[in-house]
Amino acid sequence: MGADAREPERESVVDPAFERTILHVDMDAFFASVEQRDRAELRGRPVLVGGQGGRGVVAAASYEARDFGCRSAMPMAEARRRCPEAVIISPSFDRYEDESRRIMRIIESASPMVEPLSIDEAFVDVTGSRRLLGEGVDIARALRARIKEDTGLTASIGVGPCKFVAKIASDLEKPDGLTVIGPVGLADRLAPLPVGRMWGIGPRTVERCTAAAIETFGDLQRRSPLELRELLGSSAQRFHDLAHGRDDRPVITDRRAKSIGHEQTFHENIEDPSEVEAVLLRHVERSTARLRRGGRKARVVVVKVRDGSFSTNTRSTTLDAPTDRTDVVWTAARSLFRDWPFRPVRLIGVSLSGLDAEATGSLFDDSDVGDAARRRRLDAATDAIRGRFGGDSIGRTSASLSTPRNRERSEGADRPD
Amino acid sequence: MKLVCSRDALAEALSVAGSVVVNRTPAPVLLCLKLEAKDGFLTVSATDTEIGLILGVAEVDIREEGEALIPADKLNQIVRATNDEAITIEVDKNVANIRGKDAKFKVFGFDPGEFPGTPAFEEGPVEFQTNAGTFRRVIGRTVFATAVENSRYAINGVLLERTDRHLRLVATDGRRLAVARGECGSFEGEDTSSIVPTKALNVLSRLMSDPDEPVSVRRDRNQILFKVGEGPGAPVLSSNLVEGSFPPFEDVIPKDQDKRVEFDAGDLSSAVRRAALLTNEESKGVRLAFADGTLTLSSRAPEMGEAEIKVDVDYAGEPIEIGFNPTYLTEALKHADAQTVLIELKAPNKPGVIKVESDFTYVVMPVNLA
Repeated sequence: MGADAREPERESVVDPAFERTILHVDMDAFFASVEQRDRAELRGRPVLVGGQGGRGVVAAASYEARDFGCRSAMPMAEARRRCPEAVIISPSFDRYEDESRRIMRIIESASPMVEPLSIDEAFVDVTGSRRLLGEGVDIARALRARIKEDTGLTASIGVGPCKFVAKIASDLEKPDGLTVIGPVGLADRLAPLPVGRMWGIGPRTVERCTAAAIETFGDLQRRSPLELRELLGSSAQRFHDLAHGRDDRPVITDRRAKSIGHEQTFHENIEDPSEVEAVLLRHVERSTARLRRGGRKARVVVVKVRDGSFSTNTRSTTLDAPTDRTDVVWTAARSLFRDWPFRPVRLIGVSLSGLDAEATGSLFDDSDVGDAARRRRLDAATDAIRGRFGGDSIGRTSASLSTPRNRERSEGADRPD
Repeated sequence: MKLVCSRDALAEALSVAGSVVVNRTPAPVLLCLKLEAKDGFLTVSATDTEIGLILGVAEVDIREEGEALIPADKLNQIVRATNDEAITIEVDKNVANIRGKDAKFKVFGFDPGEFPGTPAFEEGPVEFQTNAGTFRRVIGRTVFATAVENSRYAINGVLLERTDRHLRLVATDGRRLAVARGECGSFEGEDTSSIVPTKALNVLSRLMSDPDEPVSVRRDRNQILFKVGEGPGAPVLSSNLVEGSFPPFEDVIPKDQDKRVEFDAGDLSSAVRRAALLTNEESKGVRLAFADGTLTLSSRAPEMGEAEIKVDVDYAGEPIEIGFNPTYLTEALKHADAQTVLIELKAPNKPGVIKVESDFTYVVMPVNLA
């Protein structure tokens, strides 16, 4: 393969019958939109959702606020400086997660193959639904209409032949957009995009790329993976493929995932351990709620922490028995975190693996410890009330939000490594 | 030390002793077997520091008394690979020379003084004695159901209880529970109850090949000793007991099962194994539907297929459908060691029971098929 080959023909030779159709559904300024919907006086005004304290961070900015340069993940003080007239609102997770549950249910009406990415984002594989419900674009149009009708909120949907392209597409015409990037001419369509849109290419790498005259996906397409290796390391082949719109990762529902987890990067270092723990608890609650929804149990708890110097540490523990209980996972995750010599934290995440399809019940759990049964009922009740992502359970301190939601990532896929 | 011995007898002893030795340890002497030639006998000892075994080897001609400490795996491999009827072992300065008709091996060993040793079975009255056939059966009926690791309970071993002359062995991994009963021939002292490691019982089972041999058991606070047979050279196995508490198993043995079906163990096992062919990671359960005169076993693996097997049964009760992990059924049917078994059920969400008269009770949690 020559270094200059763009090979757009490669996509077009695929029999359409074997082509996947993936949707990426992304709610627009989700938290801010929920607030504007519920409080008429906020409509049309710049709204910032997030922590109001000295170290608070913007979790969501309404589009009006974005016109002033406010962005999520920005320190609240900076956002206020840019837009002094903005209304600042403390987040209420319960409501957002309630809303998320309704939205996910609507999405599931299009296909059972839904992979939730975070509270307001999901991939849907509608390949199998096309015969019944029409082409990807028709399904996306119907979904957007139903979300709007049932919740009063707007979603942007990207339609593509793979996850990566669908995700790129949903972002192109935000807010309230619908973008289809088909398999024909895919590489040409992606070519003008700036490299910064690539998953996993952060500002530092963008700088290095710019220095090497790589500014667009097209530039990545024209370089051979070998040439790119110097710049991008072992992921060069992957970036090269993604730049062409080639991404064969399947959409993985929680029922099949090899691991389930959530992590979050902070805009700035968090120096208070209890604040980090509050976020970790929220990750644990969401992850275990997803386990329960998928009828799964996990045996391994992994906590990932990145400190201010960007050194990443993962610690894991194996539980006595597979569990889907929030309190059991939380106890394990917290003690892993507390074993870590605390330094200001940049990223905190939890990942549950060793997922067990074992459906045989336990002989002893409920009979010997009344507490276990009680806690399981609590989990079930919480799930029922708060919805699919789990909520802040009764009696647990809810995580205070001084964190950017848009850099949250969830996992639900059997990642290659 | 110098001796000539029968290849077969040595191979058998080394194989059992080798099963005590661990595969990996920072202490090389623990990877070894100790040979001791004395008073006309050859004994082989092994230990993993938790479990110790000493046993005699028959058909040995001792030319010169002495001791040796030789890596277990090499010694085992050499003896097993040899076709000669007799093998000569000569040890000089911790080096073992093993000779057959056409072969000569030199194996570097260690100083026998470094071997930790194994406890002796003292003379005098024992806690109880039973025959090897009985003991082997009750162990076989339980040891398969132990857990690999302990959870908050000590379940990586078998609970060995004696009440007067009644023996009861219990094992569980938290999802199923096996209880076996037997009698001992003689006993002495107060009733006892302790947890014996799975590995020790597996080694012990290998030592009890002759069902009529007596097995003597002695217990102290944290150790149990077994002697199989009588006289010098009778194997002695010692083991630390598992510390911790056994789960409250009596509470989970159902007492009000109202649906009973008798089966030929082999027929039922075959039906379950065939139904299990169409299960996978996502759908581990096999569905058992009992209705007037027929048991229908079925399974379904998404994106793979389905299976259905019908078995004639003598059942006229209320229809019931219940799911089980097929492995939990086939293992129990295999180790029940009986022609006929009784299946007892109550409801789809309640445990099922497999029974062989009053000697064997196996409780297994169902799989939710919803």
